[in-house]
Amino acid sequence: MPKLVDRVKPLKNRKRKKLSAEGRWGFLMVSPYLIQFVVFLSFPLAASLYFSFSKYDMLNAPKWIGVENYTTLIQDPVFHKALWNTFYFTILFVPAQTILALVLAVALNQSLKGLKFFRIAHFIPVICSWTVVLYVADAILNPRFGLANTILVKLGNNPQPWLSDEALIIPVLVAVAVWKGVGYMMIIFLAGLQNVPEDLYEAAEIEGAGVWKKFRHVTVPLISGTTFLVLVLTTITTFQSFEQIYVMTSHLGDVTSAGGPNNASMVLMLYLFQQGFSFLKMGYASAIAWVLFIILFGITMIQLKLQKKWVYYEK
Amino acid sequence: MKYSQKFGLLLLLSLILAFSMAGCSNESDADSENSDEQVEIKLGYYSSGSADEKMEELIDQFEEKHPNIKVTTQNAPYSQFFQKLDTQIAGNNAPDVWLSDGVLVSKYAERGAAKDVTGWIERDLNKDEYYGLDFNKDASGKYFAVPQGIQIGALFYNKDMFDEAGVDYPDDTWTWDQLQETAAQLTIDANGKRATDDGFNSEAVNQYGMTFFNITEGWMPVLKSFGGGVLDEELKNSVIDSEENKKAMEWIVDGMQKGVLTDPSDLQSFQSPMSPFPSGTAAMRIGIYARVLAANETGINYDVTVLPKGPDGKRFAPVIANSWIVNNNSSDEKAEAAWEWVKFWVTEDEVQKEWAELGEAVPVKKSVANSDLFLNSGDNTINKQAFLDSFEFAGTLDTNAVWSEWLQKFNDNINRAFLNETSIEEALQQADKEVKKVLDDFYKE
Repeated sequence: MPKLVDRVKPLKNRKRKKLSAEGRWGFLMVSPYLIQFVVFLSFPLAASLYFSFSKYDMLNAPKWIGVENYTTLIQDPVFHKALWNTFYFTILFVPAQTILALVLAVALNQSLKGLKFFRIAHFIPVICSWTVVLYVADAILNPRFGLANTILVKLGNNPQPWLSDEALIIPVLVAVAVWKGVGYMMIIFLAGLQNVPEDLYEAAEIEGAGVWKKFRHVTVPLISGTTFLVLVLTTITTFQSFEQIYVMTSHLGDVTSAGGPNNASMVLMLYLFQQGFSFLKMGYASAIAWVLFIILFGITMIQLKLQKKWVYYEK
Repeated sequence: MKYSQKFGLLLLLSLILAFSMAGCSNESDADSENSDEQVEIKLGYYSSGSADEKMEELIDQFEEKHPNIKVTTQNAPYSQFFQKLDTQIAGNNAPDVWLSDGVLVSKYAERGAAKDVTGWIERDLNKDEYYGLDFNKDASGKYFAVPQGIQIGALFYNKDMFDEAGVDYPDDTWTWDQLQETAAQLTIDANGKRATDDGFNSEAVNQYGMTFFNITEGWMPVLKSFGGGVLDEELKNSVIDSEENKKAMEWIVDGMQKGVLTDPSDLQSFQSPMSPFPSGTAAMRIGIYARVLAANETGINYDVTVLPKGPDGKRFAPVIANSWIVNNNSSDEKAEAAWEWVKFWVTEDEVQKEWAELGEAVPVKKSVANSDLFLNSGDNTINKQAFLDSFEFAGTLDTNAVWSEWLQKFNDNINRAFLNETSIEEALQQADKEVKKVLDDFYKE
């Protein structure tokens, strides 16, 4: 046995050399990404995990305190509220945006003149910054001069304090977020729709399928891959939503009031930002980030598991 | 074989890292070697529009006077500036001297990021010549910053609205009760009825007696002149749940319910919570000095006087002394050079005058603040003396290391009382509990 191995060795060595030369090139090619990954991703990731177990105010060195941040987190009423608000926001936002995006995409997937205009029109809010959207939203939601209350009053109802009512704030924010985000998901759906072969519709028509049946039995299954992508993307971005709430609830400039009124619109990312950057509790903020990561990881895993039941991939 | 490749890669990456770090440290070594003759300091300040240009000019003048000091600058809009600054302090590459919002000085001082400049102040500055030095003094008498410009609160009033209502202008004899009585006469609803008339609708106010917002230009001056406040002398314990605060809160909530003072939801209708007074929708405001700019810009006919007295004759003017902080981590040489800049800023008449001309803040140097240049500048000659007189009863906003954090807890609770969602007692008790927790978390290890 040993003899045999000895005899094989040179051959193996030669092979190894060849491979590593190729490998070296390979690594050289991916090195810009790898370096970026190590320096800007894995290192901060590891650091934040360490910070989450320490008291760290950024201005002084972190001090190890074990799981204290996590135990405080469990008892923190504002964190509970932020967690609930994040779920509430997501549960309203994800279905609303996905369904609306699909409806718009189907409507704009016809071959009619002037459709380009509508596609662009629905996409414009996507490229606007939240600060711009804030002013548009204010034209509608301003309690005294806004369109919404003007209509309400004309119809004989009481005006509503849209952005300062604890019960209204999340639904209002969701509505604005859908308006701003739907165009992007619509484009993804449009791409998916254009991959559905026309002959399948023709076949369905011959079988006597109407508009709804064609949509239900041809379109929906064939774009299920796209739908899945949209769902995963929307869920993740919703859990991380920050800018909108920061801009729309910071009472036009008063940043300390972001997440108000009375934390009714406080979400995890905003809470994380506030604790970390406004109050310099970077350790605590890191703990929030890891909890957020675990939740997102869990949800994405569930989505991945469930996709087998309803997502259809063309082989 | 895969392992050896991975190992090689790891080695390569660590080498790259090591080299890049070495690169960084080499640079700074070179810096300190050259510095025998030339010191380079980094100066950080947050932008405020037209002031940036003036700042650049003053830096040029400074470099001319101090040929051995070279100044590089770092500036950004307010919130980005402080975010970046905190990160830089963490990475030990923060500016050697930076402009801090007055309410944030303690945040840096108590966490060890600001240099103790007591010795330099004793050596180089005659304390009687300057306003506001003591606002940056800690309980043990140490100084951690030197004011760059001072914001102090006074009572702004719209003369046209007072004339129209036929009431006397406010003066230094006013109490808060008197203010609210007068404010009621100046409050007008959508039907033109005044708050003193029958059938006045407090839900649809077109002109408010006084606009009221947040801490500096809202509840703090009222609480303090009623004898209350948020923190004790040491600034480490809450004194929120007090009779005095209750009385002050009753005064505020009463005014808001009558529609005479703006409540937090009223302010939602405005482009900014600062805009009711300059836009001519409120007859009075508590305003810091910088509010003069907006009022001048819209051209309303207004004047200022000192803030009213509390029930026992106590007065309080809120102060925010935006200040220069020297980096505690800078080398002695750079810190000395940074101090030269601070000294240049406060002692040089020319600098003080040029900065005063912008009209953004009350000058730090008393001789300049009391000169014609400050008191009678601009087209609109208002009674600026009121701001200077207010220094006699001025105080900070109970600023400490966790100011923004306790402020948020406090606001959350009292805003609910302002909007009538909870009682004053409950709001104060809850605020007391939450603020105590914030303070204990930081101060009681």
